[in-house]
Formats: sequence, structure tokens, C-alpha cells
Amino acid sequence: MHVWRIYQGLLPAILGIGTFVLIGATSLAALLRYSELHSWLEYLQQPYLWRLVRFSLWQALLSSGISLLIAIPVASSLMHRRFYGRSALLQLFSVSMVVPTIVAILGLVVVYGRSGWLNQLFGVQIPLYGLVGILLAHVFFNMPLAVRLLLQGYDLIPSGQWRQASQLGFSRWTAFRWIEWHYMKKVLPGAFVLIFMLCFSSFAVVLSLGGGPKFSTLEVAIYQALRFDFDLNRASFLALLQVSICTLFALVVYRIAPVNRQDVSLLAVRHYPLKDSHWAKLVDSLALCCAFVLVIPPFLAIFDPIFSPIFFKTLQSPALWLAVWVSLQIAVPAALISLLLGVCFSVVARFCMSRRYVSFLPNKIEHLGNMILMVPGLVIATGLFLTLRDLGFGFQSSYWIVVWVNAVMALPFVLRALMPIMYQQERRFRNVYLSLGIQSWSRWFLEWPLIRRSVAQALGYALLLSLGDMGVIALFGSQGLVSLPLYLFQLIGAYRLEEGACVAVVLISLCLLLFYCSSRFVGGKVSVSNVKN
Amino acid sequence: MLKINLQYDWERFHAHYCVNVEPGITTLLGGSGEGKSTLLHLLGGFLTGRGELSFHDRSLLSLPAYERPISTLFQSDNLFPQLTVWQNVAIGLSPSMRLNAEQKEKVSWALGKTQLADKAQRFPQALSGGQAQRVAIARALVRNKPILLLDEPFSALDPSLREEMLYLVNDVTQELGLTTLLISHLPQEASLIGGRVILIEQGQVVAHDSVTVLSQSDPHPLFSHYLGVSRHSTI
Repeated sequence: MHVWRIYQGLLPAILGIGTFVLIGATSLAALLRYSELHSWLEYLQQPYLWRLVRFSLWQALLSSGISLLIAIPVASSLMHRRFYGRSALLQLFSVSMVVPTIVAILGLVVVYGRSGWLNQLFGVQIPLYGLVGILLAHVFFNMPLAVRLLLQGYDLIPSGQWRQASQLGFSRWTAFRWIEWHYMKKVLPGAFVLIFMLCFSSFAVVLSLGGGPKFSTLEVAIYQALRFDFDLNRASFLALLQVSICTLFALVVYRIAPVNRQDVSLLAVRHYPLKDSHWAKLVDSLALCCAFVLVIPPFLAIFDPIFSPIFFKTLQSPALWLAVWVSLQIAVPAALISLLLGVCFSVVARFCMSRRYVSFLPNKIEHLGNMILMVPGLVIATGLFLTLRDLGFGFQSSYWIVVWVNAVMALPFVLRALMPIMYQQERRFRNVYLSLGIQSWSRWFLEWPLIRRSVAQALGYALLLSLGDMGVIALFGSQGLVSLPLYLFQLIGAYRLEEGACVAVVLISLCLLLFYCSSRFVGGKVSVSNVKN
Repeated sequence: MLKINLQYDWERFHAHYCVNVEPGITTLLGGSGEGKSTLLHLLGGFLTGRGELSFHDRSLLSLPAYERPISTLFQSDNLFPQLTVWQNVAIGLSPSMRLNAEQKEKVSWALGKTQLADKAQRFPQALSGGQAQRVAIARALVRNKPILLLDEPFSALDPSLREEMLYLVNDVTQELGLTTLLISHLPQEASLIGGRVILIEQGQVVAHDSVTVLSQSDPHPLFSHYLGVSRHSTI
């Protein structure tokens, strides 16, 4: 009876995960049903395909490598230094990794483009359209992500180690060598795989800055096969190839990576001063300058049109507000579904970690949620569309497809924000819960003050990712579903750049507003003022 | 002599410690939340207080933790789990762990002194609680700082092991002429290792006497009150 009560409480969460798996599997199956396996051998012999694979791998490796190389000293500096604007920089980092791609690209063009700020101020011109542009954009998005992931790793270091380091007179370098690196090397493989996959399946960046077939990736090829040729056979082949490469890559990295066991000591980390030196100050300043230069100018560039006379004229356009409404209609339900799915995953993972025979499952459950990074959103959307079409639903289902795909694409970010705190709560209170018989909802009420910051962060990420989606919406956009990013893309395509820049200001402002609301109303006051995690 | 005249405020807790500590062992007694650990954290440089703190007439107050002539042992987190026992001791001599022959010899001496020579290549996870605290003591030995602060480092050990550790601390203190301050909840521990006792109440040093005061039939009224409470609470 007691066991049944436990499983009964778990049932909604299992159903949530089941729905996620079922819809994903059905979509892939639907796509495979339209494919002709015998023609796949021919595809494998095409040199263009291998060029695509090579470039996809190359740019993803470079992007993730550069992002992490910059992020390591930046995270260390942010951990040790307290300076005016540090909180604002961290807040900016948390937003920049989920800033709508198309908006960021516009910002990068304003800064690094042919007539951009860099050229005007210093006469330096960089070839933005091609590999350099793709790398710049990927580093802009992923370096802040890497910094935050590494800072989460820093939170695993018990305060006692810093206290000892302070007592023993560790310099910044010794502390890095003996303490930080030990924890960082556990976080790095996961961060590397995550960023690699995000870059490998990068779509809008490559489409906008690739500059032609020479710098194209598998994801863009899938889009072209679906959107322009409606070649389901080729699209499913490319999707399967992409999934295979990502899986292989993740397996190799996790095989050679050290095991990451989270420490119990995850209480608030206290800061103890280390021995400082001119060298440490110089390295920290250089690292922070590098981060400033890479992240801040494109942000400032986004807000540049606010002073132009056309800005207020653009604000009066009904099409703009219609697009705002469509974006909100997509982003809010997608974020809520994503959060709900994230909670389902974390509840089941928590349950398993304390059970003897299923204690190996939490990692697998987390990987299941992250697997969505390997599968192109476009492929899931197309598969889902084909399934629903076979069931008698036509284009009227487009809205829900866009909402669902956005929700599942945001899931890995939601899990990143939720899982550590959930594991932490389980470890800290498992025995108390067991001894007092506290279960399901009662646990939530007890834990809410401790987890609300992470929940707010998860919701914020999901909201912003859905709000800025340019992948799935591009596939269904013509069906009367024009969101803000798509509207912006259409304006740029029609060479109405000034108007487009104004729309970008509206989009980024909406993102910041929603992120703030999520932090303030879900996370509480502390969440807004303290953004370290 | 360690001269303390320190003030510290935290929310509604106002502490003012004023005492001179002689070389040898001094046990800090007092109830929970009375401010014993706060005093040790102030001395160690982990909290910032106001006032005066000097050792042999050299002011310590403006010095960071690592420049003070002090080694502190805490209840937990004294060791780096990612380093071996040998490395955990060696890091006390040089954070970069580049040791010369003499320093290596010193590490071996400290490990021998704490009966850990055969555990040198083990990681802290493979040690018992008592062994782990002995590693921390070995590190304090190689650091050779004249002041040793012990913030209940043996409270999680069983009574016989605790006794063994206290004897070790006592030996080391006598041999090296240290000024050792030990926090304890148990007056019996103070009696066991001798020296002097300080009673702390509400952030103030209210009594400072020889440890024999605890075994007297008519001790200082403050001590007798504390001993009464302490005996009741341990029954």
C-alpha cells in the first residue's frame, strides 16, 4: 500500500516523460516512413555532403574550444574579484546566451560589419560573412553560457577549501591549480559537449552569416531540403547523420571525461581572500576585458536605433504588435510546458537517486532530456506535422507544433538550471523526509523558498529561447504565424534594415522584460539582486 | 603573549573580547552561540573585527589570514580531498608544492610524528576521522606557526580517539612552545590537557583562570554556574 502511494505520486512525472519520448519517437518514425533507404548510399558518396560534415564539425569544435578557453579565466576572475558592475555583467551573461539569434546577428553586423563600428573607429575590417562571423556569433552566445556553467562548478567547491587556501597563503595560480582545476575538469566535458552540440546544430547563425554553400552546415542543409525541396528522404538522412555524429562525439567525450559526482556541501559559498599579485590582477583584467569586448558592443549596438526618428514610426506599425502578440502566444505556453517537463524529469531523477536498483538512472534521465540537442528541431517539427497530417489535422496544427518543439528545444537549458538544485535538496533532506514521511507536494512547499531561484532561471531561459526561435517558425511562418524574430528576418530580407533594427530593439526589450518578470515574480527579490547562479 | 582586545558586531550579536593569553594550552569554554568560534575566526583572520590584536607586541589585525603567525584547525574541511595525505601536508610548507630536500624531510617528520607515515599516498576519503584530523595536525606542525587554534576539531571523534588527539596536541604544544587555543564543550577535556581555561558568555571573556579551577570544590561563581549547566546538559 505504502509502495503504491509512492508510485502514485510519481505517476504524473512518468507520464510527462512518456509523452516527451512518445512524441519524439513518433515524429522520427513518421519522417523515416517517407524515406527511401536504398538512396542513402548515394548520398554518402556525394563530396558536398562530406564537406558539410567537415565544416559542421570544424566550426563546432572551434566555437566550443574558443568559448571555453575564454570562459575559464573569465569565470575565475568573476569568482574572485568583486567590482562595480559585476552583478550587471553576470545578468548580461545570463541573457546573452538566450538572446534571440537574429537580434544578436544584427548587433554583430553593426559592430563588425563592413560599415560597422570597428571599421569606423579603428579602420579594421573583418570578413564577417564566413567562418569568422560564425565563430564570433557562436562565441558571443556560448562564452557567457560556459562562464555560467563553470561558475556552477565553482559552487561545488566547499567553503572550507577556500578557507584553507586563505590560511595557507595560496596565490590565484596555486588556488586554480590545486582547487579550481580539480572541480573545473569535471564540469568542462559536459560544458564542451553542450556547446559543441549547440554549435553543431546551429541554424540561424550559419544561415545568416555563412555567406553561401561553402560555409553551410548539416542543419541548414536539412532546412533547405525541407523548406525548398520538401525532400523528406534527404532530410531524414541528414537528420540521422547529425544525430549519429553528435551521439558518437558525446560518447567519446564522456568516456574520457572524469566522473562528476556532485558534493553534498552545496550550501552558500563564502568568499575568503587569497594572496593577490600584480600578475593576477593583470590576467584578470585581460580576461574581463576580453569578455567585455566580445559581449557588450553587440548589445549596445542593438539599442542604437532607439535614438533614430524611424523608431517611433516603427512602433506604430500594427504588424509589429501582431508579431509581439504571436511571439507571446508561442513563448509563454512553450516555456510553461518546458518547465513542466523539466519538473517531471527532475522528480523522477530524484526519486531514482535514492533507490538502490535504479540509482544509475538519474544520469540517463538527464541525458534523455539533453538528447533533444542532437535532433534538429526542424526534423521533429516536420515529423510531428506529418503525423498530425496523417491523423487528419492539417496546417491548423502548426501553432501547437511550434509551441511543442520550442518547449522541448528549451528542455536542456531548463534541466541545467533545475537538476543541480533538485539533487542538492534530495541529498540534504532525504533522510528527514523518509523519517517524517514527507512526500510529493509537501516537499515542494518546504523546498520552494530554496529552489524558486532556479525555477525562475529555468522559466526565464525557456521564455527567451522560445521568444527568439528562428528555426521552427521559419518552417511554418508562412501559415499566418509571424513571430517577432520572423518579422525581423522578413524585414532584413526586404532590405528594410533600419526598420528591422527598431524591431530588434522591441524584441530584446521584450526578452529583458520577461526575464526580469520571471526572476522577480517567480524567483523573488533575492533572485533579482543576486544573480551568481 | 597574545593580546586580544577585539570587538565584532553581527546583526544583534555584539562581542567584545579582552584577554591576554600566555603560551601553553588554553581551553575556551562556553555554551553554544556564546561566541567561542567567533573569537577563533577573528584571531584566524576569517572575520574582520575592530580593536587590537598583537602577538609579542606585533600587531596582527591588519594582516590577512595567510600572513598571521597562526594555524587553525576546524571541525571539518581541513583537508583537500583531491590531494594525497603527503600533498595535504606539503602544501602547508609551499602552496606550489615545490619542496627542497629539507622541506621534504620535514613533511616526513610530521607524518611520522602523527603516525601517518604509511598513509602518505592515500587520499583523505580513505582515512578515518581521527586519521584525517591527524593529517591536519601534521600540516600545522610543518607550518611551524607559534599560535595554534583548534575549533572543535575532534568533536566528531569517539571518546578514546578524542583523548588520543588531545594528548597529541598537548605534546606538540609543549614540545614546540606553542600558544594553543582550543574550543571545547566538555570541561573534562580541559581538565585532561591542563593549562588554562577561558569562559565566554555573550561575546565576552567573563573568566580566565588555571584549569584547576574546574576541579575545585568552590570554583569561581561564573565557572560553577557554567559547570552546573554543563553537567545538567551532558546527563
